[in-house]
Amino acid sequence: MNIKNNAVSLILDAKTKEDLDEIKLQFLGKSGTLTTTLKEIARLPLDQRPIIGILANEVKGIIEDAIETSLANFQVKKIEKIKKLDVTEQGIRPTLGHLHPVTQAIEEITNIFEKIGFSRERYPEIEWDWYAFEALNFPANHPARDDWETFFVDQAPDPKKGPALLTPHTSSGQIREMEKGILPIKMLNIAKTYRRQSDVSHVPMFHQFETLVVGENISISHLKGVLDYFVKSYFGEDRVSRIRPYHFQFTEPSFETDVSCGVCNGTTRLANGEVCRLCKEGWLEIGGAGMVHPNVLRSVGLDPEKYSGFASGWGVERVLTMKEGAAIDDIRLLYANKLEFLEQF
Amino acid sequence: MNIKILDSWLKDYLDTKASAKDIAKHMSLTSISIERVEPYKNDFVYDIEVTTNRPELMSVIGLAREASAVLPQAGIAATFRPPTSRPPSNPTENAPLKIINDVKSIYRICAAVMEVSVKKSPSEITERLETTDIRSLNNLIDITNYIMRTTGHPAHVFDYDRLVNHTIRIRESKADETITTLDGKTYTLLGGDIVADDGEGTIIDLLGIMGLKNSVVTDKTQRIVLFIDNLDKHKIRKTSMGLGIRTEAAQMNEKGIDPELAMDALLYGVSLYEKYADGKLLAPLINIYPKPYVPKTVKVSIEKIQRIMGIPISLKESKTILEKLGFKVQTAETHLEAVIPSFRADDIAIPEDLVEEIARVYGYHNLPSVLPPVTTNSITTFGSNPHYWETRIKQALKYWGYTECYTYPMVSEAMYEGPLETAIRLANPLGEEFVFMRKTLIPSLLKVMQENKNVETIRIFEIANVYEKNGQELPKEMRMFAGLIKDKKINFFIVKGLLEQLASDLGIKHLTYSSVVNAQLETEVKIGKELLGSIEILDNDLINFELNFELLIKHATLHRAYKPLKKYPPIIEDITIVVDDSITTGQIITAIKSADLLIQEVTLLDKYNDARTFHILYQNPKQNLTTIEVASIHKKIVELLHKDFKARIK
Repeated sequence: MNIKNNAVSLILDAKTKEDLDEIKLQFLGKSGTLTTTLKEIARLPLDQRPIIGILANEVKGIIEDAIETSLANFQVKKIEKIKKLDVTEQGIRPTLGHLHPVTQAIEEITNIFEKIGFSRERYPEIEWDWYAFEALNFPANHPARDDWETFFVDQAPDPKKGPALLTPHTSSGQIREMEKGILPIKMLNIAKTYRRQSDVSHVPMFHQFETLVVGENISISHLKGVLDYFVKSYFGEDRVSRIRPYHFQFTEPSFETDVSCGVCNGTTRLANGEVCRLCKEGWLEIGGAGMVHPNVLRSVGLDPEKYSGFASGWGVERVLTMKEGAAIDDIRLLYANKLEFLEQF
Repeated sequence: MNIKILDSWLKDYLDTKASAKDIAKHMSLTSISIERVEPYKNDFVYDIEVTTNRPELMSVIGLAREASAVLPQAGIAATFRPPTSRPPSNPTENAPLKIINDVKSIYRICAAVMEVSVKKSPSEITERLETTDIRSLNNLIDITNYIMRTTGHPAHVFDYDRLVNHTIRIRESKADETITTLDGKTYTLLGGDIVADDGEGTIIDLLGIMGLKNSVVTDKTQRIVLFIDNLDKHKIRKTSMGLGIRTEAAQMNEKGIDPELAMDALLYGVSLYEKYADGKLLAPLINIYPKPYVPKTVKVSIEKIQRIMGIPISLKESKTILEKLGFKVQTAETHLEAVIPSFRADDIAIPEDLVEEIARVYGYHNLPSVLPPVTTNSITTFGSNPHYWETRIKQALKYWGYTECYTYPMVSEAMYEGPLETAIRLANPLGEEFVFMRKTLIPSLLKVMQENKNVETIRIFEIANVYEKNGQELPKEMRMFAGLIKDKKINFFIVKGLLEQLASDLGIKHLTYSSVVNAQLETEVKIGKELLGSIEILDNDLINFELNFELLIKHATLHRAYKPLKKYPPIIEDITIVVDDSITTGQIITAIKSADLLIQEVTLLDKYNDARTFHILYQNPKQNLTTIEVASIHKKIVELLHKDFKARIK
């Protein structure tokens, strides 16, 4: 009787399933109290054995039942506890940082061009004039070469390659790549570039992505193919691109490349009838492109009668802000490193 | 450079039924970009971006000629109506003017002396000037601007009676000569600027850039010199940028103006003064033109035209296009030869230039769009591709709660770390903030922290280049990976753990850490014997690290060696020892591991006063371990620790 009472009170006090397992072991296990008692029955006088035996088995049944009931109660309590959760309280989140929007744009751009066979290369950021201007067919007194537009390094100029400077465009990579002498070329260069400027739409350091394709029979049509592929991949399938005449020293012919405006869909009018202020007659400029100038090919020892190529140099920040629908109205925000800004990306 | 002109002005010289919108669209596609078309009264204003190679299009006449060439290609009828300049009335010849030119960089001077009356310009002039963003002043000044915008050649007007000797002598300035421009500002010249003086040394004009106060027309002017000067574009840019005088005339002249235009501009100007200022010519026209334009010829093969355009265009069609643009063309069997008109002389020199002309008017939008067929034979790489690792590291940091920054590599003197003598300095920095090329990313990250003062917990990182002087060669560029943590709960081991976990993801084993002698707060991180970088404790709540990114990824690998899964369970034991402070945990772990090969893992579990608890995992890959075996290894460990470190078991 004591055994039964002990067991039942313990079962009622049990808080967890583990406690119950322990109790079960204590009473019903191989060397449990009840089991031992049952074994002792054999030593009792013959006449008392059936009574005690029945009693002991009853006790065993009661304990087993009590355990079972208690287990079921736990299950109910668990469900009730879950039901009582205030699911509107905030969650406990794993840590999450943020990649800079420029990194995210660079990732996308890289993936797009790699898919059509471009391989990403890296070249010096501090470069000789030869690579940045001279070999790219810039005349000696071109405005881009003067102190007002390009940063120069305070260092003695190289007798052959001229002064050292901070690359004002990624196009210096064209010369570096062609110099390797391995054709055909399908190069992608994404790098930091520098110009002496700072206002709402200009920062002294920014990023460009440059493509260069050189081989036999490369034509304007191929440049259009690459441009269309990029525009549709990066901006969306419904966007269209175009090239129109422009002027650069190191390409001939030269183009400005445009993408149809995503705000007015190229119609120049917004849904409410107002004139779209973002674009120019339905188009947004992405950047420059052109067929590699024969003088540039010659500067790296390639025969312009045999080889031709095209190049494009576009701004990472430019395509990034265009994609964000020009919501970033001051480009300097990208490099102000306000966490409140960075954590939005 | 952008210019604005009225549609009605353009149509003075262009005969077409095309709408302003259509003109804008087709000009943008085939010539120059007409960025906007804005309605203005019953008219339209074009906003046009003129590229530097086409200065002749910064004029109404130039645009009309160009439009007449490109519109018909789009099926729109258009003809150019060139201006007709009638010879001026006979001069009365009572106002002599002497022009002396001592300068080689003057290409042409055309001038006329006239009697005039000053008044307000009529609305037909003022309206056109104001919509082109030029302020109307009086008829004498307005006409010079009107000449510039109509013909594309900048023009100047002097008060003839203020030129004391009726002499204009053109020379180069000496350094430190001073001038006062017509807007009343005084400038000190740099020397070598092209100026005009009065024959006795007093400067009366800064040629091609701006008139001067001492010779400019006034309300009382009765006689003028209309002065059209054509000069070297580089000289103009140097003076204009050097003095910071960016007039429209300067911006046009620095792009190079066709000298053949000068006489037309003068004649047009004379007719305007006759019409709007009661002008009468007082002396024969002056025309100083030492080297008149000799037309050049450029040859291009049909093979080249077709190869660059990517279509089988014919010689005949190519010829037609060039002729519309003002070239004189002769064709042979395989090529064509084009004579370059003077207004394109600066822009067209090689066969490819002609291909551009043909292709753009043919219409880039009419060319097919095809992905290039060439494939490079370079293979796709991961483990040997720095971009792959950079992305992977950035992603890891992002998901561990770090935010990426992009800071400027140019830093101020205060932010530069290291001796200034060996610093890479910019020759022409943009303010004191951006003078030196940085040698470390840490000061930049500290600046980011300061700029986010109100943020309590900051975890940031950047991967970017640092720079180092390299004798006469280009500076060395090294990619670095740096991070900064500001957090009340930060400690050294959180940062060390970050680097350890990153190394483990990169497949790098055996990073070692050691305190830098004499710099207790800095810890060196090495891979083998190579210095990878350091961790630096700046404050209780502020720690940074900076690693050599290139070295890190040199050791990074995607290779993972498979070890057979373990069949037999390990036995785990925690041993607590008391040992002197000077013995590092690293030393103890190395010692424990050396005791027996069956010890698979040793980690520090806890540290309390002088006691340290180590968690030891024994495992035999071939069979079950017995307690007897473990007891014997345990004994070896105890003896070893006692022998080496005088440690005792607690």
